[in-house]
Amino acid sequence: MNIISVKDAVFSYDGTRNHVDGVSFDIEAGSYTTIVGHNGSGKSTMAKLIDGLLELKSGEIFVDGLKLDLEHLYEIRSRIGIVFQNPDNQFIGSTIRDDIAFGLENHQVKSEEMDALIEEYSRKVGLFDLLDKEPQNLSGGQKQRVAIAGAMAMRPKIIIFDEATSMLDPKGKRDVKRLMAELNDDNRFTILSITHDIEEVLQSDYCLVMNKGKVYMHDTPEEIFKHGAELKKIGLDIPFIAQVKEEFRKQGIKLKKNDLEGVAEELWQLNSNH
Amino acid sequence: MAIKFKSLSYVYDYGMPYAHKAVDSIDLAIREGVITAVIGETGSGKSTMVEHLNALLLPTEGELEVLDYNIIANEKTKGLKNLRKQVGLVFQFSEYQLFEETVIKDVAFGPKNFGMSEEEATKKAMMALKLVGLDESYYELSPLELSGGQKRRVAIAGILASEPKVIVLDEPTAGLDPRGAKDMINLFVELNKKFNTTVIIVSHDNEMVYNYCEDVVVMKKGKVGFHGKTVDLFWDNKMLEDFNLLEPQIVTFKKYLMEKGFELKKEDRTIEAIAKRVAKEVNG
Repeated sequence: MNIISVKDAVFSYDGTRNHVDGVSFDIEAGSYTTIVGHNGSGKSTMAKLIDGLLELKSGEIFVDGLKLDLEHLYEIRSRIGIVFQNPDNQFIGSTIRDDIAFGLENHQVKSEEMDALIEEYSRKVGLFDLLDKEPQNLSGGQKQRVAIAGAMAMRPKIIIFDEATSMLDPKGKRDVKRLMAELNDDNRFTILSITHDIEEVLQSDYCLVMNKGKVYMHDTPEEIFKHGAELKKIGLDIPFIAQVKEEFRKQGIKLKKNDLEGVAEELWQLNSNH
Repeated sequence: MAIKFKSLSYVYDYGMPYAHKAVDSIDLAIREGVITAVIGETGSGKSTMVEHLNALLLPTEGELEVLDYNIIANEKTKGLKNLRKQVGLVFQFSEYQLFEETVIKDVAFGPKNFGMSEEEATKKAMMALKLVGLDESYYELSPLELSGGQKRRVAIAGILASEPKVIVLDEPTAGLDPRGAKDMINLFVELNKKFNTTVIIVSHDNEMVYNYCEDVVVMKKGKVGFHGKTVDLFWDNKMLEDFNLLEPQIVTFKKYLMEKGFELKKEDRTIEAIAKRVAKEVNG
């Protein structure tokens, strides 16, 4: 089943150039899709269109069976959670507990139910023991995990991550990426992640490559990284493991394995066969 | 010549109940004419430390020698404006600081502010824009019309227009797409090669640090945990663990190959170099 369907979406910020230019794609319920593209390719704009933060010039978007229009706007928004780039700009509460509670209070969730939800989702992001800590005592990665818990506690069907790891240090990035992969394990949430981190694409089910306001590719990561030269042409990179295989291919060695240790083993065996 | 921190400390809200020592009595000599990375966890004092380099922050204790200046805690130093011209500081997300109506005016603002004539400043601005890869078609555009990566380049051109001897960059590639990030780094490498500019980069990107920065400073809780060759740091498991650093993938890969029995050299720092060396062995 498709939880998101975008049909011929067109959007322009200034009325002269189409920043999203005839985009169509479907997102399967429960899947994890990364959206990549150069700065200005239209990927963040696309996310804002899906959440109804921006209005289409033409075309249609369906979310969870509902057509995105004024009538369904709030219903659709309640089914979508968003985690933004800057962990400091989205921390509202004075403690982790307050921060996760913020959205729930706005929706008048009863206090016992709220406590249960806060416990469940703070455990899920590994911050239950820190619930009464203040934000200044948290690392960037921890703050992002709080934002994720807050988004999940609203029990949306879709969570959009808008470059959610780009401002974190390497450990923070790794922790948040692991969490995103885990969230998707039981397929309760559909994940859309707008990212510059090409390594993250490897852990997603599908990748949507945007270029100049259009969909350039939409496929599994494996298929997409077979087109390394085309990706480089539009300013993107390929993951480290794919670069390694590419360099060895130039030296006349075709490698099959998809992890660094496996590749090292494969090379050693080739060496021993001589 | 070097940039020397001598028992330098910096305390935020000095004398207040919530005073916080962000940099704690550091001794450090950063080599001139070299690209040095400053790494460490969030809150380790990296940004506080580098903000001393152009006297944006003045030491609470200790002193700093930079170019011909000697900045001593609690003493007045003359000519700091001239120091700021020679040490350019580019903040994180510097694109948010653009404010002029046109790109060329924004870039010329710095040199004009440092006393150059309009004409001279515009000339410097054109040169700086050329360096960051923006041609004359950008001169009259509003900075607001540019993409994120282009804005960042305009902000950096604004610093380069004053022809600094030292350039300090706080997370210059954060939020840029892969090509934008690569172009940015290549710009610093070129500046360093062409003009022998001292480049100091605060970064979280260990892969970039390993590939492009000769020296590295690791900050930990306000102190210098390590200062030396980048290669020496990233090949030392104990230090990686102590400083909570992720190993660059190229190092991981090289280690796997060496464990198997391949003989690799220290200078094999790129995937290409490694592939060539290994292919030679495999292909006989």
